[in-house]
Amino acid sequence: MTSFIIYYLVTSQYRELSDMNVQTLESFLIAQKEQELKNYTSIALSSVEHMYKLAKQTGQPNQPNQPNKTHQAAVADIFENMLYNADDGYFFIYDNKGVAIVHPKEPNRVGESWWELEGENGDKIIQILIENAHAGGGFYRYKWYKPSEKFKADKLGYSVYSEEWEWMLGTGVYLDDVYAQLDNLHQEIDNHINYTKQIILIVALSSIFFIFLFGIAMNLNHKKKAEEKISELGQRVIDVQEEENRHISRELHDGIIQTLISIKYSLEATALFLLKNKQDKPAPLIQAEESLGFVIQEVRRISHHMHPQILDELGLSSAIESLAIDFSKQSDVQINVTKPILRKLLPDFINTTLYRVVQESLTNIKKHAKANHVLIDIAIQDSWLTLTIKDDGLGFDINAISQKDNHGIGLRNLAERVEHHSGKFNIISSEQGTEITVNIPISSFTKHFHHTTKKSELK
Amino acid sequence: MDRREKEPRKITVLLVDDHPMVQGGLMACLEYYDDIDVVGLCSDGEDALAKVKSLTPKVILMDVSMPRMNGIDATEIITEQFPKSNVLIFSMHDSSEFVHSAIQAGACGYVLKDTSSEEVYEAIKAVAKGNNYFSSTIAKMLIETPLKREHDKLTTREQVILSYVAQGFSSKEIAKKLDISFRTVDAHRRNIKTKLNIESLADLVRYAINHGLIKQESSD
Repeated sequence: MTSFIIYYLVTSQYRELSDMNVQTLESFLIAQKEQELKNYTSIALSSVEHMYKLAKQTGQPNQPNQPNKTHQAAVADIFENMLYNADDGYFFIYDNKGVAIVHPKEPNRVGESWWELEGENGDKIIQILIENAHAGGGFYRYKWYKPSEKFKADKLGYSVYSEEWEWMLGTGVYLDDVYAQLDNLHQEIDNHINYTKQIILIVALSSIFFIFLFGIAMNLNHKKKAEEKISELGQRVIDVQEEENRHISRELHDGIIQTLISIKYSLEATALFLLKNKQDKPAPLIQAEESLGFVIQEVRRISHHMHPQILDELGLSSAIESLAIDFSKQSDVQINVTKPILRKLLPDFINTTLYRVVQESLTNIKKHAKANHVLIDIAIQDSWLTLTIKDDGLGFDINAISQKDNHGIGLRNLAERVEHHSGKFNIISSEQGTEITVNIPISSFTKHFHHTTKKSELK
Repeated sequence: MDRREKEPRKITVLLVDDHPMVQGGLMACLEYYDDIDVVGLCSDGEDALAKVKSLTPKVILMDVSMPRMNGIDATEIITEQFPKSNVLIFSMHDSSEFVHSAIQAGACGYVLKDTSSEEVYEAIKAVAKGNNYFSSTIAKMLIETPLKREHDKLTTREQVILSYVAQGFSSKEIAKKLDISFRTVDAHRRNIKTKLNIESLADLVRYAINHGLIKQESSD
């Protein structure tokens, strides 16, 4: 939009400027022509001056100032042949009554009076020329036959009056040459304008294009940053959630369950007391002990579901082993776990993430894969901790799960989570089965080991 | 001393549990058994290490989940430093991994906290004699998923020692750092080599580096 406004303004300005130039040039050209005509005329006049002197010397005594007819005819003859500018430049002579005396291109006019000759706009052409001549020489524009073209063209006429011969001597230049020159110039300027227009258009369009590209790039960058922030935020929400789960789980396990256990032993102590006093256990006490046992199991189940304590106490290898044992108890799938000899190397967040990956994978396998064997492998080599979960099930379309939210969301979130902890997440799935690989760089937990080692050395 | 001479057959027990109410409840029960003498109470692994040294209990009833140092790690150090005290794990955790870890750390028995006090008493007696004792559910689990020797893990203690070895400390220096005997360190080193099936020191160092036990930039 802006570019078109600029384009319009620039071209119209340019056009105005060029029009002014053309006008200046036109008046300059006309002035030049006028000067030319003046020059031709004065040359012509001076070329017949000697004839006047001659006429004076040989003139009749009674009319000393009147040149005689012979001389007039001779002068007329000279003017008759005085041509310039190819055939278009010629001199014409009329007397004060408008009778043509010399007219080399239209000899039929000679001898007749053209006093009343009118131009297209009604001007009496010959009268005006004679008037101008009397006024000491003047220019007049009118239409006249152009000898070389045989049609009427604009003519700039110049006429002077010769006192000696009592003639009006005139000549003229046809302006169509000037117009052609100006047209040419116009054409050239137009071409130039068009060229400039094109350049402006190209420059404007390309700058718009670049601004557009830049805008898109900026926008994409913004979007990417926003997405990164959202993802970061999402990960933090998950971190907080895991932490909260862990906290509640621990509260249940270390707080409520322990209290329930203490109640249990208090009840047992009561029973022992009664036994010592040779009394049987009352039924409500038996009932209470049973209910308590049930409640303890329930709370444990909930606590374990929220966060497996084993992860914190014994580390990832053990937690995964225990997952695998539970899994094989609940299904017919055979599961093998290979794990490193080390334990307690990993910081909590990596522990939890990897644990969740295994948990989610096993859930998927149980629900969908119809697998017979599952292999879980944890290995440390070449500065990477690698977790692999491999099954021989039906496999699934990886692209489909990224769109289907019902069971794909878990794996996708876990992938994001792994990447959030500077790891790599990879799924290969085919009809032969599925392989999920997680890689965590050793550098992200080496420090942790040293930290915990130093802590456990405190005694 | 007087007390011990009067009742020489009493089994000295140290209760290690971070929950005072559990200790209280269990104490109330154990009081009814004449041959049990609870000589001390403490609330975490580090506390236990100090108390074992001064009280030399016959049996340590050890919880697993505790702050500062957990029961498994404490068991490892106690069996290393005080071989005359026997550890009986007393925990809520019934996962085989806990049981395996406890056995590897040197525990003689494992009872769950929701077993009856009578069974706890029986377990204490068995462990005091140097026998093993496992709750029935634990025993069942051990039969289902027996300890796999080929998958032995390095214990936390062994990891720490391997880390020092890889950093270039001698057995003597490690012994001093960990306040254990030179021979114990050597025993650990032998165990590490056997478990990892590694002979040379260079391979041990490489293993430690590869497994993140020491930082690759040795500046710190």
